[in-house]
Amino acid sequence: MDDEGRLPFDDQSETEMRRVLSETEYDTDLGLEMARDAQRVVAGELSDAEFYARYHEDMLEEFGQDARELPELRDDLDGEVVSETSDATSVRESLAALADREDVSRRELLAKGGAAAAALSVFAGAGSGSGGEHGDTPTDGDGTRWGMVINLNNCDGCLACVSACSQEHGLSRGANWMYVFTYEDRNQDDENFLVRPCQHCTDSPCTKVCPVGARHTRDEDGLVLTDYDICIGCRYCEVSCPYGVNYFQWGEPDVPDAEIPNEHQLDDRGKWVGSRPPEGVMGKCTFCVDRQDGQMGEERVGTTACEEACAMDAIHFGDLNDEESAPNQHLHEYRGEQENDRSSFPDRTEHTVSTFNLLEERGTSPNVHYIGNEPSPHAEQVEGPVSYEDVGLVDDRSEVLDDGAAANEEGEEA
Amino acid sequence: MSVDTTDVSRETLVRPIGTLSKQYLLALVAALGAIGVWVFFYLQQLQHGLIVTNLADWGSGGGVPWGLYIGAFIWWVGIAHGGIILSAAVRLLGMDRYQPVARMAELLTIAALTCAGVFILIHVGRPDRLVTSVLPAWPTRVQWSPLMWDVTVITAYFVLTATYLALTIRYDIHRLRDRLPDQLEPVYAVLMVGYSEREDAIVERMVWWIAFAIIIMAPLLLHGGVIPWLFALLPSMAGWAGGVQGPSFLSIALTSAVSGIIIVAASFRRAYGWEELVPVEVFRGLAKWLGFFGLIFLWLQLQQVITGIFAAPTTLQHATEVKIATPVYWVAIGLVLAAMLYVFACSLRPSLFSIPVLVALSFGVLVGTLVEKVLFVVEGLQHAHFQLYDGVPGVYVPSPVELSALLGTVGIVVLFFLVVAKVIPVVELHAIEAAHEGGDDA
Repeated sequence: MDDEGRLPFDDQSETEMRRVLSETEYDTDLGLEMARDAQRVVAGELSDAEFYARYHEDMLEEFGQDARELPELRDDLDGEVVSETSDATSVRESLAALADREDVSRRELLAKGGAAAAALSVFAGAGSGSGGEHGDTPTDGDGTRWGMVINLNNCDGCLACVSACSQEHGLSRGANWMYVFTYEDRNQDDENFLVRPCQHCTDSPCTKVCPVGARHTRDEDGLVLTDYDICIGCRYCEVSCPYGVNYFQWGEPDVPDAEIPNEHQLDDRGKWVGSRPPEGVMGKCTFCVDRQDGQMGEERVGTTACEEACAMDAIHFGDLNDEESAPNQHLHEYRGEQENDRSSFPDRTEHTVSTFNLLEERGTSPNVHYIGNEPSPHAEQVEGPVSYEDVGLVDDRSEVLDDGAAANEEGEEA
Repeated sequence: MSVDTTDVSRETLVRPIGTLSKQYLLALVAALGAIGVWVFFYLQQLQHGLIVTNLADWGSGGGVPWGLYIGAFIWWVGIAHGGIILSAAVRLLGMDRYQPVARMAELLTIAALTCAGVFILIHVGRPDRLVTSVLPAWPTRVQWSPLMWDVTVITAYFVLTATYLALTIRYDIHRLRDRLPDQLEPVYAVLMVGYSEREDAIVERMVWWIAFAIIIMAPLLLHGGVIPWLFALLPSMAGWAGGVQGPSFLSIALTSAVSGIIIVAASFRRAYGWEELVPVEVFRGLAKWLGFFGLIFLWLQLQQVITGIFAAPTTLQHATEVKIATPVYWVAIGLVLAAMLYVFACSLRPSLFSIPVLVALSFGVLVGTLVEKVLFVVEGLQHAHFQLYDGVPGVYVPSPVELSALLGTVGIVVLFFLVVAKVIPVVELHAIEAAHEGGDDA
């Protein structure tokens, strides 16, 4: 990358671009030419208007649509745009770096440089076999989609997130909506952590199986919630969830209803989906729905209790469809920080950072994305650096439930 | 070969209605007592919530959210379906030999479906919402939730069976009216609303079609369909997924239903001296079906065990290994195997056959199928694909509250038969009429 934030168009990269383009249905020369000019747009050497004027007809002919009508192409820029064509960096990073210098928002610049994006996307679409359809961030379509990027490399297992969640939602002992595993794995000496909130899956089995529609996905932002007013407590959601994130309210909740203000319980549709569930009803992590609806102040929209409590910068909550959101930004920044000597090792992939979705093969499309290593089937949970008891929590809920059952039986005898 | 019961008198048929024995009262007290024990425990559950059970959350809690309640639910539905399949087969396939037990099978279906319903009622955390939440949700949820498919099909099934029973009873009551107690006149009046002998032929055809619907629905849609699909379609638990669950569930249903019918029929035979009405040939026939269904049951278990341990994916392999390392699983298999071996031995040497032994083995089969179903649910939940939770598998032993429900539902079935036997003939009049020749001689 040169100082102007442009991609190097040397012979080698041009050969590579030609190869990639020749495999597409698009005109190779046109694509190359557009990519060059797109770079000029980014560098400010060419205006948008000139770019459009130059390529409008070609675009129509080639794509059937102009770039301004091709948001999906523009979205591709958010992904691993020219990962196969640029040696040292991505166009996205070029754009981002430029944005920082020019003090304009990245999103604005991306929008402005839409034509360039479209042109450059030719490469993305053609070449990035490993980048996935949405590139290197979990963006997918328009509209808000709340989610998380959790950096397990940053987690130190302090359980602050678990405590904060429990406190904010008035959870009964052992109902750890947020749960942190400490585990040992084969071929790894270190302690490893897995932070497990509800995955708020896009293809959530729990919403599919719910007989009454109490467990549902909120249309406006993809939150997977439970309508406490209609749940019959059949626990089918819990049985169908591959992650074990559901906690039924087996007995009377530890925190009485009177202690929880209405604004934490009712969402912006007036449905009772927030805070701990009443007796006989299913509960689980809500991604702090009350915060997202502005019930705890505008400044807390886009935050969660666990994220706020995390001093290690492991939990990043936000709109996954927004490139500028905390999770996506963290993903970019963290990737940027990792050393990756691609000049000495040109065949390396652009990123060396390991990311994963939990149990991706279960087909649930989770909206929690992890940075770090995925636990292998041989991983075993061990006692963490901070135990649940240390911070006043209960790890194994069955202890509480057994006590509860025994207490009730004694009560009967008394 | 058909069994000739046509010379049995009508007095024999209505014998249970007119008599009152000490044994009857004893059975009545026992049934009411069993129900009473359950009600006592259930009131505790209503008061304190499901915390009084030994159910718990799977995951960090290491428990099982579904346990004996769901296992027993499947078991009762299985008995119900098998019962009505047998009755429908009698009508459709002309298996006249089993005519004397056809109505008992239908009654067993009604009673067992009721018990299945009881288990759903006591399983849910908010039974008060079963109507207010389910009905409004039905139109939008029925295409999604396997549990809603269940509710729908079982309800349809209950209605079909009850209709079937109600239609066929009218024929009998009309012809036996003079032998039935006058105190129950209001009941008969309701059952006989609008009856005329002209309907008999029409009802015969209607009932044929209902039987046809039942034969189509029960194996394909119910115990071979929506009930196993409750589990087989989920992405979460290793031991549940797979196409074998349909046939496997159906085989268990048929095995336990035949056992149930054998026990009910033998009880009536003994209590009312019905050696002529329900001859030993009926039991020999039922025994063969028991042996055959038991064989299918064992064969399907073998399929699952072999595919689960030979180079299976790790999670499935683990689940299967745990299953075959569970002693009580082999108790279940052994009980079914014992019944099957006895039946086959009797085929080779008919002198071995005895109704009391068959009844004892049938009890064993019912215990075995119940154990298998509860294990299927519980162990399934203890071996999820996601294996990281240290608490999983936790320990689950059904609590007294849960066990009492099993006792209570058995009590309900006994009570049901005791009451019904005093009101209507539990054996069809057709059974003692020569080849449906009519019956206008009342």
